[in-house]
Amino acid sequence: MNKEKIFNIIKENMVELLFDLDMDSVKITDSLRDLGANSIDRVDIIMMSTEALNIKCEMMEFKDAKNIEDIVDILASKLGVHEDGKV
Amino acid sequence: MEKYEPVVITGIGIVSSIGHNISSFINSLKNGYVNVTQLPNINENFTYPRIGAYVKDFNYKEVLQRYKEEETLIVQQALRTTLRSTPAIGMTTTACIEAWNMAGCTSKPVQANRKGIIVAGNNLMDEMQYSTYEQFKDKPNYISPSYCLQFMDTQYLGILSELFNIKGVGFTTGGASASGNVAIIQALWLLRTKQVDCCMVVGPAAGFSPMTLQSLHNIGAIGGKTLRNEAQKACRPFDKAHEGFIYGQAGACMILENIECAKERKVPILGRIIGSGQMLHASRASEPSEEAEITVMKKAIEEAQINVNDIDYINTHGTSTPLGDITEIKAIKNIMGDHCKNVWINSTKGLVGHCMYSAGIVEAISTILQIKYAFLHPNLNLENPIDEEMRWVGSTARAEEIKVGLSNSFGFNGINTSIILERA
Repeated sequence: MNKEKIFNIIKENMVELLFDLDMDSVKITDSLRDLGANSIDRVDIIMMSTEALNIKCEMMEFKDAKNIEDIVDILASKLGVHEDGKV
Repeated sequence: MEKYEPVVITGIGIVSSIGHNISSFINSLKNGYVNVTQLPNINENFTYPRIGAYVKDFNYKEVLQRYKEEETLIVQQALRTTLRSTPAIGMTTTACIEAWNMAGCTSKPVQANRKGIIVAGNNLMDEMQYSTYEQFKDKPNYISPSYCLQFMDTQYLGILSELFNIKGVGFTTGGASASGNVAIIQALWLLRTKQVDCCMVVGPAAGFSPMTLQSLHNIGAIGGKTLRNEAQKACRPFDKAHEGFIYGQAGACMILENIECAKERKVPILGRIIGSGQMLHASRASEPSEEAEITVMKKAIEEAQINVNDIDYINTHGTSTPLGDITEIKAIKNIMGDHCKNVWINSTKGLVGHCMYSAGIVEAISTILQIKYAFLHPNLNLENPIDEEMRWVGSTARAEEIKVGLSNSFGFNGINTSIILERA
């Protein structure tokens, strides 16, 4: 598991909620809000991603996340993924 | 008694087992088409008959394309916000878009804070709550955060008011099987008292959980007991072989507005609603009350300021339940007296099943279509009527000019409603 894979899992869950979004154009630095996800969509995307990764965490831990990368980092830290992408 | 300005109907929409839009619904009404089927039981321990008038082959994404050109933004947003929702929400949203489009609300808009919305029904998310609990038992921590919004009936208000930019008065009305009429009646009051100029009345498709269905079966309310293997014959209001209601799936919507608003917008008027009544009979049980049904029909006639003899047609509550059917006939006979021989009677539930929360709206739509297009729909399963004196439409459609129709809806816990519709 590395950050790229986590990013892809988030994108897979984004498709379900933001189906008309061109996923190829989504960058890790984009914010879910700017991509059209409202507050409910955002927590749902994060929750579905934690389930896919089999991580247990509180949604409050994501409250300061500014973009997708911040979410990826929080999920990565839960999985013990280091900056270099190694576990 | 005060005379109220008539409220007019300018848009109607439906997704039902016998038509996914108004034009196919009209054809099915004329042909007396019934689409009741039996599905295999989900679980061998569930003993209720899984029989119903289900909406089949409904592709939400595809159906919405029909409105893409005239309602571009609404369709785009509907796909984005409701594609992941329950099928019931998709069906109901489609019916709303059809009614909205027919009423010309996009091309000739009403100010956002002068538009209202009333959603008929209570416990609309029963089936979804049940299935979420199944997931919750396995993985409680992964429950969707949005479940806390989705389980509330007001979710419909949120989705639809956002979609149609409705910023006036909005609420849900619980009235059990009479919910649809209760919602229409509340819309009449909002319009008569000028709280809003235009009101969307929504009848969501009911999704029952196995728990609810089993309970309805155990209380003896569901039909298809002996006719389990002849599903098409199971829904037979007022026939001697009736044995309970048959679940019907339908999302329906009506756009109601003040006559001045419709005139100002220069939109065609489909019909009027001129009277209504809503009375309880103070009961915690499921039994109907002849006395209350008489009172509520009289109240509607009085409010419309017409005579009993002016009524040409009754769209009955007629659920196919033995006690309910006979009670309604007794109440109608009591009020109509000799005029009974002139009043045409049928039951739209005989074709679409009992659509629960949307039933009142489905039946108001059916009534106004029969008035507008001068026909009466048949009830093919009415072979041996429980009463020989009524003027049943019978087994074939009739071409009849009708001017005034009364539509009844009654519900558990002593809820009685009646509305009167008139040709535009």
